[in-house]
Amino acid sequence: MISAIQSEGRTVGARIAAIATHLPERVLTNEHLAELYPDWSSDKILDKTGIRERRVAAEYETAGDLAFHAAEKLFAAGDCVREDIDFLILCTQAPDYLLPTTACLLQDRLGLGRHVGALDVNLGCSGFVYGLALATGLIAAGAARTVLLLTADTYSKFIHEGDKSVRTLFGDGSAATLITASNESVIGPFVFGTDGAGGKDLIVEAGGFRTPRGPETALAEADSHGNVRSREQLYMNGANVMSFSLREVPRTFARLLEASGITEADVDHVILHQANKLMLNALQRKMSLPAEKVPHHYEDIGNTVSSTIPFVLANLRDKGQMAPGRRLVVIGFGVGLSWAGASIVC
Amino acid sequence: MSGFYEELAEILEVEPDQVTADLRLESTSWDSLAVVSTIALIDEQYDKAVNATALAACETVGDIERLIAARQTESEA
Repeated sequence: MISAIQSEGRTVGARIAAIATHLPERVLTNEHLAELYPDWSSDKILDKTGIRERRVAAEYETAGDLAFHAAEKLFAAGDCVREDIDFLILCTQAPDYLLPTTACLLQDRLGLGRHVGALDVNLGCSGFVYGLALATGLIAAGAARTVLLLTADTYSKFIHEGDKSVRTLFGDGSAATLITASNESVIGPFVFGTDGAGGKDLIVEAGGFRTPRGPETALAEADSHGNVRSREQLYMNGANVMSFSLREVPRTFARLLEASGITEADVDHVILHQANKLMLNALQRKMSLPAEKVPHHYEDIGNTVSSTIPFVLANLRDKGQMAPGRRLVVIGFGVGLSWAGASIVC
Repeated sequence: MSGFYEELAEILEVEPDQVTADLRLESTSWDSLAVVSTIALIDEQYDKAVNATALAACETVGDIERLIAARQTESEA
């Protein structure tokens, strides 16, 4: 099966060789949130979102810092040495500076060679799969052999403390994923999707150059549901995002199976972006997947945006479920609106 | 609609026998999360994608039912 797919030229001899994850220290519990939102008990937050607590970066702790610590854990585990890295990709929506590129700063901070290529990718919940596609493409082109993909975000810095619609869901965190050329393992095919018309459904409107920050954009107001935010903070139209996800994620899975020439039975695990319990349960039912095929990791960390998929992959690896020959499907979806899926043969 | 009413009762945090077409949503826990949950419920039970804005504007359970009835199933769309 693998060689047949390879002959179509849509897969690449590459593997996820190592994963490390990192979380900031500060914990935000449901008990604390329930004190702020009197109509929601801590049990209700857990029941609806599936999330018990999430981590929040410290005031001066950035996504660049979180990415740095995830990468250092990877090196400390002995999974690779710094000299092996020839390309660094950082996926974040909260860069340290407008410029320079945070990935360039991380090259220096991580002590990587000056021959290394480095770039940032500005995507959210679909970002890990896009990063994986770029890494795999670089390897396929012979432009790199060992790519360090860092995913890190600090959505907490975008969120008003009075906005329960997003503060209950998102947590800060990071992951470092090492992608290397391989003779046995295969990454791909990939399928992608974009719908910029839904850009307004998940947005931090002010702070870029379309809507610069000013006194008006800093004004926080309550919406019709009592959630408080300014235009400089994260807004999510949860209903539209749910509709979009129910429409596009099952289609992405079907496209991926077709492109791979396989059926659902050939797939050992389907790793979906860990949005929240409500979303994942709805998708799992709609895609008619058995629960044990759709691993979860959100209860103690929340939705860590582009790092949710590597957090699940790290769990699978720890359970020996990324053994050679195992077939995984990963699907990311969210802000953009943007989505992507990939097939992986470990 | 019995299965739908039971699930809807859970979302609205009311007893199942309280759910009737006349039930006013503002008297329940009909908030943004409930709207999101109802989109998922309608998709699961009827294979229909209702407009999120129209759903949020519903005032009674009957309004939700009319919205569902007006939609084709996704497989027909």
